[in-house]
Amino acid sequence: MTARTRNWLLLAPAGAWFLVMLIIPLTVVFIFSFGERAPAGGVVPAFTFEQYANLPARWAAFKNTMTLAPIGTLSALLIAYPLAYYLAVKSSPKWKTILLVLVIVPFWTSILIRSYAWIFLLGGRGIPALLDWVGIEGVRLINTPFAVLIGIIYGYLPLMVFPIFVSLDKLDKRLLEASSDLGAKPWRTFLQITLPLSIPGIATGCMLVFILLMGEYLIPALLGGGKVFFVGNALVDLFLQSRNWAYGSAVAVTLVVVMLIAVTVYMRLITRLGASREDVSIM
Amino acid sequence: MESRGYIEAFTPADGKAIAELRGVSKRFGDVLAASDLNLTITEGEFLSFLGPSGCGKTTALRMLAGFETPTEGDVLLDGEVVNALEAHHRPVNMVFQQYALFPHMTVAQNIGYGLRQRRPRLPKAQIAEKVDKTLDIVQLGGFEDRKIWEMSGGQQQRVALARAIINEPKLLLLDEPMAALDRKLRKEMQIELQDLQRQLGITFVLVTHDQEEALSMSDRICIMREGRIVQVGSPQELYDRPNSKYVADFVGTSNFFDGTVVEQPGPLTSVRLSNGMIMRGTPTEEMSNSEDVSVSVRPEQMTLQRQGEGLTVEVRNRIFLGEHTEYLVNHETLGDFLVLSPRQSEQTEGAFTVGDTAFVSWEDSAALILDRN
Ligand SMILES: Nc1ncnc2c1ncn2[C@@H]1O[C@H](COP(=O)(O)OP(=O)(O)OP(=O)(O)O)[C@@H](O)[C@H]1O
Ligand SMILES: [Mg+2]
Repeated sequence: MTARTRNWLLLAPAGAWFLVMLIIPLTVVFIFSFGERAPAGGVVPAFTFEQYANLPARWAAFKNTMTLAPIGTLSALLIAYPLAYYLAVKSSPKWKTILLVLVIVPFWTSILIRSYAWIFLLGGRGIPALLDWVGIEGVRLINTPFAVLIGIIYGYLPLMVFPIFVSLDKLDKRLLEASSDLGAKPWRTFLQITLPLSIPGIATGCMLVFILLMGEYLIPALLGGGKVFFVGNALVDLFLQSRNWAYGSAVAVTLVVVMLIAVTVYMRLITRLGASREDVSIM
Repeated sequence: MESRGYIEAFTPADGKAIAELRGVSKRFGDVLAASDLNLTITEGEFLSFLGPSGCGKTTALRMLAGFETPTEGDVLLDGEVVNALEAHHRPVNMVFQQYALFPHMTVAQNIGYGLRQRRPRLPKAQIAEKVDKTLDIVQLGGFEDRKIWEMSGGQQQRVALARAIINEPKLLLLDEPMAALDRKLRKEMQIELQDLQRQLGITFVLVTHDQEEALSMSDRICIMREGRIVQVGSPQELYDRPNSKYVADFVGTSNFFDGTVVEQPGPLTSVRLSNGMIMRGTPTEEMSNSEDVSVSVRPEQMTLQRQGEGLTVEVRNRIFLGEHTEYLVNHETLGDFLVLSPRQSEQTEGAFTVGDTAFVSWEDSAALILDRN
């Protein structure tokens, strides 16, 4: 067996999966998006840009996704970084394992159940009631963008913590000593050594969270209560409720395009920040 | 020291104390890594810490650098106690064992790192100029824009050296800087390092467990054992006047005959060996009768003859070393020991072959009576 055939064989399962689960459906969706809605739901093949012309009707979903996904990613990063830093650099080896497990523990229950907990906490009898009690009245949390943001940060935090933790954990501590030895104050060591060397982790974490957030629909559905909805919710609505596949396909294709543009811009930014392309492991 | 081609021989008394350890101990949990260290490091000298693995050399160095605070005692730099002064405030730089170069910076950025931390800021042009000069000193001109991982081990070591010396530290600490290099490169670097030290006039403190390296490079060697300093002195002092069997064994090669002190009539002390034999030698310290000691005789101080006085031995092995021939000989009750025979005596006596019977003798005064512990 030549190395060439062996390489092909190694790639075959992934390639087949990729073809069946990604390329074919995407092609179908792409073709559908130029079709028309069949009277009984589903799609009638055609070649019309009517669906795309209709996109502005779903502008709110795109707007919500395109604001809450980056804000959610950034917020998760700001909370995850100090946590990952503490875990990797400051905590003792014994505590490190315990704390790491604590970060994963939420994954042991379904996001659905955990989001219900948030529905209660953010709902009328949760935090607002508590605020009421201390004299801050009329705060509404549930079904606001803020509630969705809370849910996003909560749900995606571990996904952000892990890649950053890994990049900080494998950071050679002697580099920090060397920096200090050469006269750098602690915060300058952080800015010049720790932060740049953890960019691969930051990049991976952000990419992971951002891409998944673009397709998120459960958290907005539960904590946004139909008021704050994402493109994902629009898709569920169009494909399953109104059964307007042609229009749904156009929305889906647009989401893919938007995502591709966002990721390209993001990669440009990261490469400029000094990390090499290979550092972003998810790509 | 003459052998090193010194124009002026260095003696510690020449300069002022640049750093000092006063009764310094360092404890890690149950481990006493350094115990009551007392040492004065003189400006401009090349001092080595020598000792086996785990004896506390790195710990001593890290306390000078400011990475560890002593549990007891004081660390002084330039006459001031600096126990709790953080590393980034100390005029001391370190070359790390694995170099610890910054992987996300170029060679030039690594070397200029220390200068970029200075406040008030140095002008960019001035930093660039100094980096260029330092690159030349370590013979890395033209490599400034290389990435660290594009450099060989020896080149990386030079970068690490340049990154430290560019700051003109009062004290340059080197933790086994040559351990990762192959033998030939290590020899080259040893010579370069010595040249550099003389050229720059910076005080060097080197950690090594390679006695040859310590002997060939240092003005003074500080021998350590289990967290303690056993003896400090020039290579020659340590070789000629070791204060214990441990030092004599560590510095160079020697033959040891264990016994107890029986008599101290004059300048020489008599020792009764386990086989009942009496040996005489020069004591290295105050000794009392019946103290456990070791008689140490260097192989080159012994003469091997076909006839005459001395111990009767059988030749077991012969290794020709050019100027000398090394014989492994066996004595019926004293066991195996080494004799180094100069070429000249080989020519008069004729070479011995394995199985020959011979006589070994030495001057009583050349034998040293050493503390056995
Ligand atoms: N941070 C630490 N925590 C616990 N024990 C330590 C620590 N650093 C050193 N030790 C212990 O202190 C002792 C001296 O260590 P040190 O690193 O100074 O030895 P060394 O002479 O440099 O050895 P080597 O030649 O192997 O580098 C060892 O027993 C070591 O295990
Ligand atoms: Mg060491």
